[in-house]
Amino acid sequence: MPVTDLPLFAMLKTRMYWLEERQKLLAENVANADTPSYRGRDLKQLDFNAALRSASSTSAVTLAATAPGHLSGAAGSEATRFATERGSGFEVTPRGNAVTLEEEMMKLAQNQMDHQAATALYARGLGMIKAALGRK
Amino acid sequence: MDFLKTLSIAASGLKAQSGRMRVIAENIANADSTASSPGGEPYRRRIASFRASFDRELQAQVVALGRVQNDRTDFVTRHEPGHPAADAKGDVKYPNVNPLIETVDMREAQRSYEANLNVIGATRRMITRTLDLLRA
Repeated sequence: MPVTDLPLFAMLKTRMYWLEERQKLLAENVANADTPSYRGRDLKQLDFNAALRSASSTSAVTLAATAPGHLSGAAGSEATRFATERGSGFEVTPRGNAVTLEEEMMKLAQNQMDHQAATALYARGLGMIKAALGRK
Repeated sequence: MDFLKTLSIAASGLKAQSGRMRVIAENIANADSTASSPGGEPYRRRIASFRASFDRELQAQVVALGRVQNDRTDFVTRHEPGHPAADAKGDVKYPNVNPLIETVDMREAQRSYEANLNVIGATRRMITRTLDLLRA
């Protein structure tokens, strides 16, 4: 069992995927901050219960492989399963653009802090495993 | 890796804003360009437009500079009979460029450019932190 299958690491990994995906959407919003009739997007917050359920269930449903050449049939990209939502649209310019740069910068800073927290926890978790192995 | 896609999206924003800056520079440089023949048309102000396009490789909405269009407002006429471009009545047509508007546009382009740079900086820090997990 690889280290990434432990519930703590699996959840942190989901969190980091989510933050990565959100960063991409925020970059899209900022890049299109002057595009006429562009509406910003954001990711829906992660659902704790759903994350817990998927992290604690070690056996996901997969296709049966009866020959060595069979593919697993899992979804291609793991990072595309998060739901997106329309941005709040704090104000809309006469050209129909609903991106506020200030708001996006705030979200960006928030995203960065969350990512820092996730990576710090991940490092701490690895440290704990190392301590348990007696290799401090 | 999604972070690299984020960087590409932000780079598309940088490219679009610098393209807009080029058009603005063109307008400011030609703010006094009159026709060379009597009664001719002077320089016409040009407007850069943005459009969001879906990039299949990045799976994201990147921004691109759309068609650069002409500003259809009227030229400014001044009475200067001695001017080489003066028509029969002694009026000279000057470009429809308002330096104040161009300056404000320039500030806006600069602000958006900095916002995109900010996204790149934040993403780079996130990548570095993820790579730091290897050292933990």
